Amino acid sequence: MTQPSRRDFLKLLRDGFLWMSGALALGGLIRFLDFEPNPVPKTEFDLGPVEQFPLNSRTLFTDPPSIPIHTESGFSALSLVCTHLGCAVEQSADGFACPCHGSRFNVDGAVTHGPASKHLASLRIERTEENHLILHID
Amino acid sequence: MKKYLALASGLLLLTLAFIGWMDSRRPTPIALTPTLTGQPEYCLTCHSDLPEISTSHPVKTFGCVICHGGERLALDANLAHSSMRGGVNPSDLSVVEASCGGSNCHSGDQAAGRDHIQRVMTSVQSTYAGAIANIRYTFGAQPDLKAYFGIATVTDEQTKTGITSLQAFDPSHESSPSIQKFGVNCLTCHLHAQPREGEAYARQTGCAACHATSKHTLSTAIPYTQCNACHNRGNYNLRTMTFEERADHPTTRLHDYYQPIAQFTQCEYTLDCVDCHTRTEAMGDGDIHVNQKSIEYAQCKTCHGTPTKLPRTQTLTDPNDIASTLAMLNPVTNLKLGDTILVTEKGEPLWNTRVLADGTYALIGKATRQYFTFRPVMGSGCTQSGEDQSSAYCHECHAVER
Repeated sequence: MTQPSRRDFLKLLRDGFLWMSGALALGGLIRFLDFEPNPVPKTEFDLGPVEQFPLNSRTLFTDPPSIPIHTESGFSALSLVCTHLGCAVEQSADGFACPCHGSRFNVDGAVTHGPASKHLASLRIERTEENHLILHID
Repeated sequence: MKKYLALASGLLLLTLAFIGWMDSRRPTPIALTPTLTGQPEYCLTCHSDLPEISTSHPVKTFGCVICHGGERLALDANLAHSSMRGGVNPSDLSVVEASCGGSNCHSGDQAAGRDHIQRVMTSVQSTYAGAIANIRYTFGAQPDLKAYFGIATVTDEQTKTGITSLQAFDPSHESSPSIQKFGVNCLTCHLHAQPREGEAYARQTGCAACHATSKHTLSTAIPYTQCNACHNRGNYNLRTMTFEERADHPTTRLHDYYQPIAQFTQCEYTLDCVDCHTRTEAMGDGDIHVNQKSIEYAQCKTCHGTPTKLPRTQTLTDPNDIASTLAMLNPVTNLKLGDTILVTEKGEPLWNTRVLADGTYALIGKATRQYFTFRPVMGSGCTQSGEDQSSAYCHECHAVER
């Protein structure tokens, strides 16, 4: 085996440095391009298989704040985002109460006590072919 | 030549590695999309250790930017903070409308009780109108004690006091050296004043002066120490027309009040100021008042009545009563429909009180949650005339030695 010349060694060193620099720069570029500072909020949520929501059930979700309701007429859902300023309302003895500013709603989402002036929003809910419930919050 | 190329490529690699290392030291961005704005912000990248500011302003709902301003997408601290409102105090009255205002928040409908900002702007705690009028009258700059000037210009088109506006007081326009000195030395601790330099004074204006009970905390459970930050901060020297700030740190509440001649009954040094003084007294009623006396009225008789008259009471029947809202915001007591509470002479609910079955009363400390009971004057041995029931008369018998 022949000893590499000084020239070959410098060439090898230079090429190695340039390849590594290129890899580092490429990694940085990918990381930069991959970062989405202003992502579009998610509007569709897979709530799971339909079997998890038996007839006459009301299942509380915290993310997104919502309550899918299963009645004989089908599935519906209420948003649990207070219509006053957007806090997540909590279940109470007579419906829902907002822990932030005291608004209250009955079990159907109708306002019973301000400062909120609008009822809790109804959310679109659909059943997929795979028998999953998909909630839309847009 | 080959040697230099190898050297240059080595330097390039080192530079890129250094940039990568510097970048890896930056915190991982933490995005939050508040429900209220729907716009991502990255403040939590550096500020995730801060406590929730209050139960009424959860960060998941409000985020940071809606109140504080700032560049929501910036990860560089200087850039992120570059457009913040009011520095560490977004409630400073110079920026409060943008930070805390809005019809759904604190500058809404008067009937709905959402006109907090308008009330504070015109309150004597902001305008200092009475003191300015007194000093100007004393030194001959105005013919009477009417309020013409405030710390800032304010207007009240629906006045009930007859004062429709105050001009901003500018001591440089005064000819009396005493008034000029008063203007320079004595106007720094009111809600609409320019705060003094330094972190210690930064939150002593605007809403924060009363409600920021600790760093990044807003509360209606306001302890007397919060009031003392201004009201026991020192005293005026009327000879030199200066404000002499006290250098000690008061610990004994009764003995360390700044005015040695002040008199106190037990409840005055046991309860917190907000246990008796109402939000209207503290924050104003929306009208411009000529002085403090015109708006502050809670006295002993407000809770104790007089020898001939019991204090006013109200039984809660309306779930939308303001008393219920106030009790919800500071849940020191479980106020229910059917409860009977004391109300002031002007009808404001003292929601932290109860009328007990035996005709005595209870009060729950808004800041301490302590439970106190007390009696009406009627039926006691008090022989004071029912007509003369200001606190000064009560102090004659009930003040303690200081």
